[in-house]
Amino acid sequence: MNAFFDNSQSVKSSDNHKGDFLSLLKQANYPLKIDVPSETTQHGVDIEIAHSTTVVAVRYRDGVMIAGDRRATAGTSVIYDRAEKVLQIDRHSVLAISGSPAIAYEIARILEHSFQYFRRSQLQELSLEGKLRMLSRLIRENLPMALQGIGGVIPIFALYDLNAADDENGGKIFFYDALGAHFENVNFATTGSGSIWIRGVLRYLSRFGDTPLQEMDEQQATITILRLLDTASEYDAATSGYNARAQIFPNIKTVTRTGVEDISDDELETCYAEAQPDGETV
Amino acid sequence: MRDEPYRWIEAIQDRRDYIEDQLRVGSPVVGLTYNQGMVLLTIGRGQRKIFEVHDRIALSAIGHPADIERLRMLVTDTASVQGFQNATEDVNLHRLTNFVLAHTFKQAFESIVGEAYIIKMLLAELGSTDDKNRFTCINYDGNVRTDTTATVIGGTETIETGMQNYLATASTDADRDLAAALQLGLEAWAVGRELSSRAPEETESEDTQIDTSQMHEIIKLAREDGEIEAGVLETTQRGTSKFRLLTSQEIEDALP
Repeated sequence: MNAFFDNSQSVKSSDNHKGDFLSLLKQANYPLKIDVPSETTQHGVDIEIAHSTTVVAVRYRDGVMIAGDRRATAGTSVIYDRAEKVLQIDRHSVLAISGSPAIAYEIARILEHSFQYFRRSQLQELSLEGKLRMLSRLIRENLPMALQGIGGVIPIFALYDLNAADDENGGKIFFYDALGAHFENVNFATTGSGSIWIRGVLRYLSRFGDTPLQEMDEQQATITILRLLDTASEYDAATSGYNARAQIFPNIKTVTRTGVEDISDDELETCYAEAQPDGETV
Repeated sequence: MRDEPYRWIEAIQDRRDYIEDQLRVGSPVVGLTYNQGMVLLTIGRGQRKIFEVHDRIALSAIGHPADIERLRMLVTDTASVQGFQNATEDVNLHRLTNFVLAHTFKQAFESIVGEAYIIKMLLAELGSTDDKNRFTCINYDGNVRTDTTATVIGGTETIETGMQNYLATASTDADRDLAAALQLGLEAWAVGRELSSRAPEETESEDTQIDTSQMHEIIKLAREDGEIEAGVLETTQRGTSKFRLLTSQEIEDALP
């Protein structure tokens, strides 16, 4: 019988996890780490892991807009063209993933359940700082996999701070390194193999654009992001653009005071037409 | 003691009397369906009594706060791990009740050398369709009762019967809105409160009727002394988690 169905084990007062879902999973013997055989690196075993992508987040007038292309690759092969890389974690936070999909999806899932478990067990929402540290902890625990070169994950975490003094400062974007350190990006963040092609553009738009990113409305921000992903896909083989024949659009979500919303395919189709240079059709 | 059946039965009966005496004054909880989901309602004095367990499951209880907390954590931990290891759709009230809670209650109750749980628990599960909504009540001895549209937990069986009878006669409209459900729930709560305030021998009598003005007076007094607590599982709630506590403003706005 599972230990969690054995009441003699489960109702001891010492089993109070104080809202820590990782501690609860460890008690349930859930394998949080994957032990990679040392031979993997010693003998140079050739393992092809799907990775590479472009994800981007910008602060706009109402909060944060966060987007990702849909391509998943392994080596030079496109293995999937409808990958979801922008994942809702709770009502006011979103994780955009780049790197090893298996680890990234697991981190996103643990994060989602951790926030829920904290709210349900402790009867209050986890604080913004608590959410950031939980993600740091998960990335740090994955360090051995990242060092092996087969499980690195570099996410962007976007959320809306309901306690912000005003709506203009509610949207927050955080960037992580492979060791779990987090940094707040003021106006934008991008990661993945295609990010090098658009980071400079983002900097230019944020500082010198006719309408700075943070003053854009939803449609302007959507058009800007579609153009950025289009640019990344032009130079990065691991990033997909818009597939007109199959009607595959990037994933774009907004994180605002009212919560997380998807930009629908219909809205994206309209914005995509708007995003093209004058006279050009998609 | 198990070698002497009479002493064991006597000890169990003593334990039952003790627990029921402790539960008698507990503030009842009412569970009702409405046209957008399910609501749990009670009136309390600061100690929270309505909780989220999982995406579509909520819990309330009467009894000793320490026992409520231990068992709430047991069911929350179990649901959380099961929902993560399998899928959230695999967490359901039937499994939690039959494989986790009921036997835990029964084992503690019948282990007469150990501590018993002073508790009656009410769980609600929002189904994928209206006809799959479920209320489950678990007694301190592990007995389980399931209802689909309305249920109550109160200090004694007589109190619960009085409240159930009121619900059965006061409304047959299963399509009631939230305001109507809150009003009906409060009235049933008032019936339970009145019955629990009577002396035990009076409560056992057949006369469990109270008139409307008396009912409204009980509600008025209770609201002056305590606070209405209501939690809903709403089909219209965005995302996978369907539970939320109603704000005091929402409750004020909904009631006449």
